[in-house]
Amino acid sequence: MLRRFRLEEPESVAEVSELLGRFGDSAKVYAGGTELLLAMKEGLIQYERLINIKKLKGLGEVAGDNGTIKIGALCTHRQLETSSLLQEKLPSLVKLEQNVANVRVRQAGSLGGNLCFAEPHADPGTLLMALGATMIAEKTSGKREIAAEDFFVDAYETSLQADELLTEIRVPSPGADRRSAYLKFGYLERPSVGVAVALTLNGTTVNDVKIAVGCAGPAPKRVAEAEVLLAGKSKDEAVRLLPQAGAIAGRASEAISDLHGAQDYKEHIVGVLLKRAFNSIVS
Amino acid sequence: MQFEKQVEILAPREKVWKFIWDIDRFIACVPGCKDAKTVEEGKRYSATMVERVGPFKVEFPTTIEVLEREELTHIKAQASGADNKIGSRMKIDLDVNLREQDNMTVVSFIAGVDILGKLAALGHGIIKRKADQVLDQFAQAVKTTLEGDQ
Repeated sequence: MLRRFRLEEPESVAEVSELLGRFGDSAKVYAGGTELLLAMKEGLIQYERLINIKKLKGLGEVAGDNGTIKIGALCTHRQLETSSLLQEKLPSLVKLEQNVANVRVRQAGSLGGNLCFAEPHADPGTLLMALGATMIAEKTSGKREIAAEDFFVDAYETSLQADELLTEIRVPSPGADRRSAYLKFGYLERPSVGVAVALTLNGTTVNDVKIAVGCAGPAPKRVAEAEVLLAGKSKDEAVRLLPQAGAIAGRASEAISDLHGAQDYKEHIVGVLLKRAFNSIVS
Repeated sequence: MQFEKQVEILAPREKVWKFIWDIDRFIACVPGCKDAKTVEEGKRYSATMVERVGPFKVEFPTTIEVLEREELTHIKAQASGADNKIGSRMKIDLDVNLREQDNMTVVSFIAGVDILGKLAALGHGIIKRKADQVLDQFAQAVKTTLEGDQ
């Protein structure tokens, strides 16, 4: 049962930041509530105050601007899977969003909430890393940009400061030769492993490769070592190197043995998904 | 969950042994442990264990019972506690062994950690990782404290 709490309804980001700073650990930002309220109903977390940000203006839109796609933190998964701009520019993100949980969760849950809750088995953070996304964090005294790979610190932990609010996710608008894919595998409610790949295909050469792995370990990770291995190679050579890149990515995933699979199993699946994701975008 | 750790301390075994029974100094090395009290000297102690994973915080009022004690060599203890707020329990079976090696004392310990109740919803992997981190920090803190006394 949900215990009593006070609901704050600020009207600006500055007000949210001020409330977060004033009430510290006893308050939490509330957006879609699909993760937070479940944990609170279970009694796993208790807050004296929830800060409802759903009424804040300007945080619920997707827009393209000067080579950047700006996604408001309050955009729901459903909004993202049906966005015509994203369908045109970031089909891999649309596909990912179509497969987040179920439509009831997608209708209420926000991308910002998903990222800030930092549940280890969440999908979006992994792909956003490969897409080169940055997170915009705002507080009373200003705003800063956090690279997606620096955003996730650990399971359920982000690099947001106590009085910061995630307001926007920025993704560089991909050029015509830029391709990306996210694949996941799991047999329980949440995925065991997720792998994202983004690259530019210049003729038959693979460039600017970005690889990220998630769900297997405590937080999503960029795998620079595997990226370097594949970047600048011909398609065929890169394909030959995929088992090696997969092994590197598997180790980098910091896979944990749990009900979703043993460590070595997850590491193996990382390699399989990397190969499939890579082949799906270069073939 | 079973954990095995070993820490090599540049200090005589007598000093390490004495440190283990100095409850205030010992507990200061256990991350998240506070309010340590001696209930019965050498046999029973109490403390509160506070740990967190992101926003999830647990507070276990804990009883520590010494089950076996072999001077300078071996301790077997059990710690157990419950957080009624979130409906979770924990139990730690601890086996500590001390031996001398060159001019060092090697402390090895085996900890069997069980977490039961709602906290398990966080997932076995996350809890195991957290417990492993706590034990590593504890081992490092013991080493730093004792070697800092030189």
